Amino acid sequence: MKNVAVGLAVVMAVLIAAPMLLTPATAPAAEDLKIALVVPLSGRWARQGQLKKMGAEMAIAEVNAQGGIKSLGGAKIVLREADAGDSVEKAVSAAQRALTREKISAGIGSWLSSFTLGVTEVAERLEVPWFTLSYADSITERGFKYTFQSSPVSSAQAEQALEQLVEIAKRNNQPIKKAAIIGDNTAATVFFFKPLREKLLKAKGIEVVVDEIWTPPLADATAIVQKIRATQPDIIFYGATNFPDSIQVLQKIKEFGVKSPIQGVGAWLVTPEYVKAVGPELLDSIKAVVAAHPLKGQEELVKRFKERTGEPFMTQDPLMSYAHVWIIKEAAERAKSTDPKAIRDAVAKLDITSGPAATALAPGRIRYDEHGRRIGAIPIIVQWQGGEPFTVAPNELATRKLVWQAGK
Amino acid sequence: MALGDFLQYVVTGLLVGGVYALMSIGLALIFGVMRVVNFAQGDFMMLGMYMTYFLTTAYGIDPLLGAVVIVPPFFLVGVAVHRVLLARVTGGGDPQRLMDTQLILTLGLSLIITNGTTMLLTPMPRGIKTSYATQAFAVGPILMNEARSYAFLMALFLAGVVYLFLTRTDLGKALRAAADEPEAAGYQGIDVRAMHGLAFGVGIALVAAAGGLLATYHPIEPTVAVNFIVLMFVAVVLGGLGSIPGAFAGGLVIGIVQSLTLLVLPFQLQNVGVFIAFLLVLYLRPQGLFGQRLRAV
Repeated sequence: MKNVAVGLAVVMAVLIAAPMLLTPATAPAAEDLKIALVVPLSGRWARQGQLKKMGAEMAIAEVNAQGGIKSLGGAKIVLREADAGDSVEKAVSAAQRALTREKISAGIGSWLSSFTLGVTEVAERLEVPWFTLSYADSITERGFKYTFQSSPVSSAQAEQALEQLVEIAKRNNQPIKKAAIIGDNTAATVFFFKPLREKLLKAKGIEVVVDEIWTPPLADATAIVQKIRATQPDIIFYGATNFPDSIQVLQKIKEFGVKSPIQGVGAWLVTPEYVKAVGPELLDSIKAVVAAHPLKGQEELVKRFKERTGEPFMTQDPLMSYAHVWIIKEAAERAKSTDPKAIRDAVAKLDITSGPAATALAPGRIRYDEHGRRIGAIPIIVQWQGGEPFTVAPNELATRKLVWQAGK
Repeated sequence: MALGDFLQYVVTGLLVGGVYALMSIGLALIFGVMRVVNFAQGDFMMLGMYMTYFLTTAYGIDPLLGAVVIVPPFFLVGVAVHRVLLARVTGGGDPQRLMDTQLILTLGLSLIITNGTTMLLTPMPRGIKTSYATQAFAVGPILMNEARSYAFLMALFLAGVVYLFLTRTDLGKALRAAADEPEAAGYQGIDVRAMHGLAFGVGIALVAAAGGLLATYHPIEPTVAVNFIVLMFVAVVLGGLGSIPGAFAGGLVIGIVQSLTLLVLPFQLQNVGVFIAFLLVLYLRPQGLFGQRLRAV
């Protein structure tokens, strides 16, 4: 019996020690640079978190394959992901854990504006530079020094997108006179609709004929679409960020034969799962305002992404985290340090006009102002054509020509 | 408000409510027989949606038929879950302690199913594309969505089958006896534990079938249950805890109230109407629409 016990102990010891013995004991040449990615990886926004992770991983693989961060002796970038879950509380505690457990040089996240508002407070307190694609204006209105917002903020998106739309509509001889505003009450949608409703549409002489906001989930879309059918708006501003709600509205729009052009607000409307759920015909000519989308000249990047992930196309979420990793890399090169404070200072001074970081986002130049907003960030208008979303505005960056849909 | 509009809202609510009703009777059956509040009920519905989805994509089975095809396998799943897990925390012992362990068990089961599905199938939403999801029957000025109409009829059919089973078969009568008076049923030679397994199996099969019907027009994702579980509980309490016809009526009432709320309140407050109706029922008829008043002796 005793022998058996000794034997077992030996076997256990070998099993425990084996991985250590097998790993080559090479000392790291340089300290790794660790990036925290705090995004929803479970719960109803998990898909978006996954897409963000794909983009970050792709950029990291590229940086490391090119020899890492040269000014740091070829230091490699390592990703530390944390699950922001489905509530602000979970997102904040995930960020807290990720940033205190070990030395993190910079962070990315957390997709939903309300999550980002919470997570950036943690990053500010712990003095770690934080990059986000979230749209809400309030993210960079708090005087934070460590928050960098790469998307155009919601209110600016609304203003610039409306400008572009009115222009395009005029060119197509379909002037916009009546508009419908429908969507849920999540932060980014609210901030987009607010200026539209309060001043922008009025200034353009556009009347709001339907204005319906709901709390997800939507039980049934009949009543909303009925109102749209009755008023026949020239454009529908559309903000149904919750996938099942959006599918219900789109199905109902088809069922009721509504022909008004749809203008979505946000990248949630241009994900591959839409094609599978409702088919390419239903999506055709639907447009969305997004913060980033593959532009003319990025075909190579998109091809690499598709090969790597098996996704049918690339969208804002992976593209932004791809850009963020490259921006952090550039900042670390200049800071010659993995210290988060040094990297923050380098980001604040950054002005890059070439390389993967700069070319990933329009207008091809990365600079942040003193509030942490990216200078020159412009909204991109994307349109579904034949089951794939393409950039259609601004014109000089477009990969396809915009197709305006008959209003009546 | 024109009469046509009003009728449209009622019809829309009724069609939505049909599937709520089918979802809820499974929960009511489990509670009625076992006195277990099953928090994982919505997750079994989600699994039913996925199973129907895979039957459609792999074998081309129409989801309306798929919703029935998945009934037997889910019945077996329910029986197995009862035998392996729930049987350990039901029947005998300190009721308060049992209640605690049951809650922890079903909540834990719910978390494991949701997150396990997220890991295995990824959080990507999927949808079954049916031609009838975007078409409607026109009855005068009223439009009835085809997918929802079919789902409603199937829900009625399945609920009818369950009702006949409970009232016309010996097994169904034994089940009700075990629910009403477990001790006396035991004296009559009814195996109460087996009845629990049967109730859990049927309850799970019904909610999975409801999931299959829902999948004809609603996208499928691992977290889809959170959108429905609260409504199921409200329907069950509304109808009278444990009453099968009550839960069915409760589901229909929720659908109609949700729809009619929009006539008077903005969209953001769609579910407020449901909860106001719920509070009113609790205040005026605390035993629920179909519940029996209990008297302390």
